[in-house]
Amino acid sequence: MRKYLARRALFALGTLVGVSLIIFVVLRILPGDPLVAILGVEGHARMTKEDRVRIMHDLGLSDPLPVQYVHWLRDIATGKLGKSFFRGDTVADLILHRGPISAEIGILALIVSWLVGLPIGIVSAIKPNSSIDNITRSLAILFIAIPGFWLGMLIVLALLFWFGYKAPIIIVQVWQSPWQNFQIVLGPAVVLGLAQGAYIARMARSCLLEVIREDYVRTARAKGVVERRVVLGHALPNALLPVITISGVLLGFVLGGSVAVEQAFGVPGLGRALVTAVIERDIIVVQNLVLLYAAIFVVVNLLVDLSYAWLDPRIHYA
Amino acid sequence: MSNQPVSGNRPHTLSRRTFLRAAGVAGGAALGPAVLRRRAEAQETPSPIRPDPAAKRGGTLRYAVHNAPAHFDVHQSGTVANIGPQSPMYDTLLRRHPKDGQTIIPDLAWKYEISPDGKKYTFHLRKGVKFHDGADFTAEDVRATYERIVRPPKGVVIPRSSLFTTVGEIVVLDPHKIEFRLTEARPKAFMLGSFASGWNIIVRKKTLDDNQGNLRQVMNYPGTGPFKHVSRQDKEVWIMDRNPNYWNKGLPYLDKLEVYHMFPFSPELGSAFISGKVDYARLLDPVSWRKAKEMPGVTAAAFNQSVIQAFWTNMKRKPLADPRVRRAIHLAMDRHTLVEVVKDTAPMQIGGFVYPFHEMSTPKADLEKRLGYQKDMKPAVQEARRLMQEAGYGQGIKGLDFVVRDIQTFKLWAVAIQAMLKEHINIETNLRTVQTSVWFDEAAAGNFDLAISAIVSSLMDPSDYFSAWYGLNGPQNYSGWNNEQFQTLAKQIERELDDTKRKAMVRKAEEILEQDPPLIPVAYEQIYDAWYNKVRGQNPSTYFGIYDVVRWDQVWLA
Repeated sequence: MRKYLARRALFALGTLVGVSLIIFVVLRILPGDPLVAILGVEGHARMTKEDRVRIMHDLGLSDPLPVQYVHWLRDIATGKLGKSFFRGDTVADLILHRGPISAEIGILALIVSWLVGLPIGIVSAIKPNSSIDNITRSLAILFIAIPGFWLGMLIVLALLFWFGYKAPIIIVQVWQSPWQNFQIVLGPAVVLGLAQGAYIARMARSCLLEVIREDYVRTARAKGVVERRVVLGHALPNALLPVITISGVLLGFVLGGSVAVEQAFGVPGLGRALVTAVIERDIIVVQNLVLLYAAIFVVVNLLVDLSYAWLDPRIHYA
Repeated sequence: MSNQPVSGNRPHTLSRRTFLRAAGVAGGAALGPAVLRRRAEAQETPSPIRPDPAAKRGGTLRYAVHNAPAHFDVHQSGTVANIGPQSPMYDTLLRRHPKDGQTIIPDLAWKYEISPDGKKYTFHLRKGVKFHDGADFTAEDVRATYERIVRPPKGVVIPRSSLFTTVGEIVVLDPHKIEFRLTEARPKAFMLGSFASGWNIIVRKKTLDDNQGNLRQVMNYPGTGPFKHVSRQDKEVWIMDRNPNYWNKGLPYLDKLEVYHMFPFSPELGSAFISGKVDYARLLDPVSWRKAKEMPGVTAAAFNQSVIQAFWTNMKRKPLADPRVRRAIHLAMDRHTLVEVVKDTAPMQIGGFVYPFHEMSTPKADLEKRLGYQKDMKPAVQEARRLMQEAGYGQGIKGLDFVVRDIQTFKLWAVAIQAMLKEHINIETNLRTVQTSVWFDEAAAGNFDLAISAIVSSLMDPSDYFSAWYGLNGPQNYSGWNNEQFQTLAKQIERELDDTKRKAMVRKAEEILEQDPPLIPVAYEQIYDAWYNKVRGQNPSTYFGIYDVVRWDQVWLA
């Protein structure tokens, strides 16, 4: 197990180094001048060549690329992750302030997806091709198809125009006011969770349908075990493995989707910070946030793999 | 005092009269400066913005304006992202009166004098003014501030430097008197407008010295303004408290100011206002603004803004170098439709090459009688086709590269302009939408045939933007346009001190620009504000833009 963990950790590190190199190079070769956002349109137009040289030097952008990359690695090692080009805030501060909200949205979305997806999947599998199965499957396809940011905007507008309601406009952490915090995270979590719940429902249905036809399930029924126990106690645990796998993958979608959904709901989370940083060409913030998202994805997938052994005693890691 | 020698052997007698006279003179000499000082202080007139006894004190104003600033240096900025949250913490030498947004009134300078030849501006500064860190405000701070604006250090870019190109020496006459000596006289309205510009906030000399003249990453540098920095949450909110030592006693009325950063014209800003999360919203989108207008207990105002929306024609491309082709393009624009196209995205109004709401420009009613601005497009299109024919492009032009800045209004307009060019004068364009930062790279490098965007000026006065937008090598003359007749006239306009003569010259310049367009004006921006009626003391309906009157010192909550 330890060997397996060490090997996976090494792979994870390699993946992250690869991601960091790609994002570092891509951000520096993409067209677009960060000085437009820093100096504004008027200032940029009046900037002399000497001014440009000086400002690029101050920002550390005139160093050779390998030097800039090493500086970034050094910033990661110190834990500060570098400073924004603009207001001089450290990226670590940004993550510490906005990260909890985005994390809450992600975790809540995952819970919503399971709470919605699993019961629907079970009901559909127990009564395949029934009207309830057809309705839930249609709804599942609908929620997969609807873009989260569009649904988010509809919800925001409906709440506003019908009830004059809008969630708090600045971050309120859960430890500051749980109720206000809940108002901020609920909308994005439900929108993201519904879309992921649709995937979970489809996966749970197909896996359960397969398992339900297995001999041991038939045996359980023959022995007179009640149907609820047959499904929940015997079939479901064995059908859950692929659902857990897809949940890990879906967390990646949640992270990606949260960028647009946070924007639609006006939630000042990490996703929104990433969008603003991209618009501003604040490459230090962008590269760190992308790396953070990649790291979360890698860690979650590792945890999913490790959970297999716990869920299925037949699986051993060497 | 007499310079006659006093005889040494004259007996010293002291009569009663002599004693009293001497005592009177000595007492007068001793008390004189004090009396004079008191007289001078008595002359120091208070600010025309006086506390209103009817105003209620206290409360927190929640104000939403624009997204977060890219940096904190107001002098180096060109966006309301800085002016919005930071202006309430600073003062200027002169300012525009918040009642109309136009009249120039004293601020940190309680009085000013202009020499008869217009080459000396002397400012008398208020005494007893303190910066937020407790330091005294003196003429040295004004000199340091303006030296930096007029002649920025390396790596510091200040868009308003061009307003003060004729400022030679800045001389401190005494700790509360400063003189700006101009190398060449400029129109009074232009110079006073420059000193009253909301951008030119006074900062401490020490602050500038400590930071090598660059405040881009200095968040909380002391000002003398009515509000003091308390805290800032990046891209969320900037919180300020009342400055209890504000020099204008009795102001401000508010205890606290919370400035929320929200994208302009965004549904987020609109929904924050409609739901009552903020008391005052600036830069509302038209849909939210119309909704706000219908809401009971809410006031909505529209006012002019110093931004032109236009597209540039690259003079290096042969057909576009021909003024007839550019005028044909200018005439082919159905401006009434273009304003309509974006009416739900951003508020706009029709205008030509000079701000349509400025006293020197052709009045709007007259402008709309001209070709290119009429509702009935037929005569303009007929003339445009004739010009194309005359220039040898009667069959049209194909394959022009039309670079579009990735902002909703420009994307909507680009499609409409593309259709108008094709339909009216058979010019075919290929749209290329690019990010803002890429747009400016492409425009500066001349990698375009047509390119649409917007530019702003600090002042409404033509002498500010004539050189920047239309001047030879002007920083925003993206077309690379030049017209010697115009350049000569623009120089004369800059120097002409008589307003009537100046106005006639500006009208003449407009005519030149109409015939030989340096850019194609699409529209001029307007600003939509809305506030709950409990917010009292400010109505921006007559304001010139959003940069000069953002102090909140006279605003109170009912």
